[in-house]
Amino acid sequence: MASEPAAAFEVGRQVKPGRRVGAPPVWAVLIEPYALFLLFLLIVPLANVALFSIHRYSPTRIALPDLTFDNYRKIADPYYLRLFARTLKLGLITTVVCALLGYPLAYWLARARPRLQAFGLFLLIMPLMVSAVIRIFGWIVILGRKGLVNEVFAALGLEPVRLLYTDTAVVIGLVNVFLPFMALPLMAAIERIPPNLEEAAQNLGANWYQMFRRTILPLSLPGLISGSLLVYSISISAFVTPALMGNSRERMAAQQIYDEVLVSFNWPSASSLALTLMLLTLALMFLALYATRRAARLERGR
Amino acid sequence: MADGIELEVEGLTRRYSPQVAVGPISFEVRAGEFFSLLGPSGCGKTTTLRCIAGFETLNAGAIRLRGERLDDKPPHRRDVGLVFQNYALFPHLSVFDNVAFGLKLRRVAKAEIIERVGRILRLVDLAPLAERFPAQLSGGQQQRVAIARSLVLEPRILMFDEPLSNLDLKLRIQMRDELRSLQRRLGKTAIYVTHDQTEALALSDRIAVLSHGHIEQIGTPDEIYERPATSFVAEFIGNSNLLPATIVERGEREVIVEIERGLRLRSAGGNLAGDGHEVVVLIRPERIQIKAPGVGGTPGHNRFSARIVTVTYLGDDLRLDLELATGQMLQGALKNAGAARDWTPAQMVQILVDPADLRLLRR
Repeated sequence: MASEPAAAFEVGRQVKPGRRVGAPPVWAVLIEPYALFLLFLLIVPLANVALFSIHRYSPTRIALPDLTFDNYRKIADPYYLRLFARTLKLGLITTVVCALLGYPLAYWLARARPRLQAFGLFLLIMPLMVSAVIRIFGWIVILGRKGLVNEVFAALGLEPVRLLYTDTAVVIGLVNVFLPFMALPLMAAIERIPPNLEEAAQNLGANWYQMFRRTILPLSLPGLISGSLLVYSISISAFVTPALMGNSRERMAAQQIYDEVLVSFNWPSASSLALTLMLLTLALMFLALYATRRAARLERGR
Repeated sequence: MADGIELEVEGLTRRYSPQVAVGPISFEVRAGEFFSLLGPSGCGKTTTLRCIAGFETLNAGAIRLRGERLDDKPPHRRDVGLVFQNYALFPHLSVFDNVAFGLKLRRVAKAEIIERVGRILRLVDLAPLAERFPAQLSGGQQQRVAIARSLVLEPRILMFDEPLSNLDLKLRIQMRDELRSLQRRLGKTAIYVTHDQTEALALSDRIAVLSHGHIEQIGTPDEIYERPATSFVAEFIGNSNLLPATIVERGEREVIVEIERGLRLRSAGGNLAGDGHEVVVLIRPERIQIKAPGVGGTPGHNRFSARIVTVTYLGDDLRLDLELATGQMLQGALKNAGAARDWTPAQMVQILVDPADLRLLRR
């Protein structure tokens, strides 16, 4: 039917230029591949996880067909409560440390000359380009019992400290990788602040610290919030870094989930933990976004 | 106007690179004076202002505020207010909080802040808009917030960096007049940076004309316009006819010069700046009188016959391009009224110039 497409095209022209009758809108065509990808590789498995989480565990058949909320009830256990508390706490510490280190860095990058900025960005993103295992091995060399830090301590006549396989090591490792996720949104936010606002503040009598607190900080808050959300949500689901650098008994949630899936084969329990972690993250995100939008609305003076 | 020197700039030099430098620049601003730095872009006027505000460091020279060294203080301790070209209002703060910004930093009591901000907002006619945010204001209103924000701190000097350039023409003239009357009423010393000669002439007590990082002339608007020190000043301020000439006869009351093709002109004796032999003749277009041929002129005036080449219609003014019989081109300006409206291209006319209106400048 050689004439058919042309005819359809002509009909389509009368309705709306460039669109055939009955054809899906352009946006649908554009997002279709990724939408399918998400549907089959994220939403379907996630629904499966959700289903597992409300089934009873069986050591022999993994999951029994009867429905139960026991997997969730179990999370009220002190063991699991501590697990989540530790996960959220380490996520929070990582986020705070990233913010503290990221702000000066982002400010410097935002105000640097273009060539210096490009070089700085390259250095900032470098940890992301190194394989996790190699990066962590590097940290083990530095933080280990006979590592660089302790050798320096020994040379100074100080007692060796236990760094590796502690929460400190986990935070160091997480900050190392996730700092760009904080610094980049911050940098983008600070770049949008005209430099002469800083000068205006100083002209009105603000020293550098007062200027920062009263202009840069409030005006870059959206960047800080999106950076914090990113860092927080990826650090509470971190697996490799806590597994290789943390204490095997003081775990983070992802390690527990991994163990329950692959070691004890308690898929229902692992599913409930995974969903709880996900819902916690989502809830925190919505809370933060709601707070920013409120702040933005206040700023516009409505 | 008080005679005290408020601000003294001495040998201010700021080098960006061996090729690009500003200064040495020296001038004094008297207390209560409206002082303008006028020049084309890149002449160093904004750099000078930023040096006074403390955003640029001097490579050499000194700035003194009432005799006290200013240039070694950090920007936040200088007590000189600056109104930025794009106003630089804080977008996250209301009009009230923008104006209160400096007072809060100075830990002024809350009741006093409310009182002082309220007073200054009434002064600039913004009291009803105190709760608005900068994005909700018009350009002219933002401008007034920026002025109020500096003014409320009662700085020794108020500085303006091209504050009107972002406004449209009508508003620019209105704000210009408001600015002038505000400054007069408060008796505040003001330094004003602009590239717009009309603005500088209308606002200033004195003007410093800058070019390529140097001061060409400092004087009252009248002095700058009537007796420009250099051909740059003559050309930059207003319209001008500039003709290279050599001095033929130097008398007490009269100087005779010769421009190209042997045409001789008479100039009043006091109009000669400097003692060089080579000069530039300046004739302002509006000082050229145009008459029909044969009509008797004032005796003693320079008189030539010329042909009208073009008449440019400017609304309130008419600009005439005139070609002298000896070939030189001159520009004349007439008010668009009366007989002036009858001049048409190709007409033959006679031109009269009073020797007093013929300035001789250093070449």
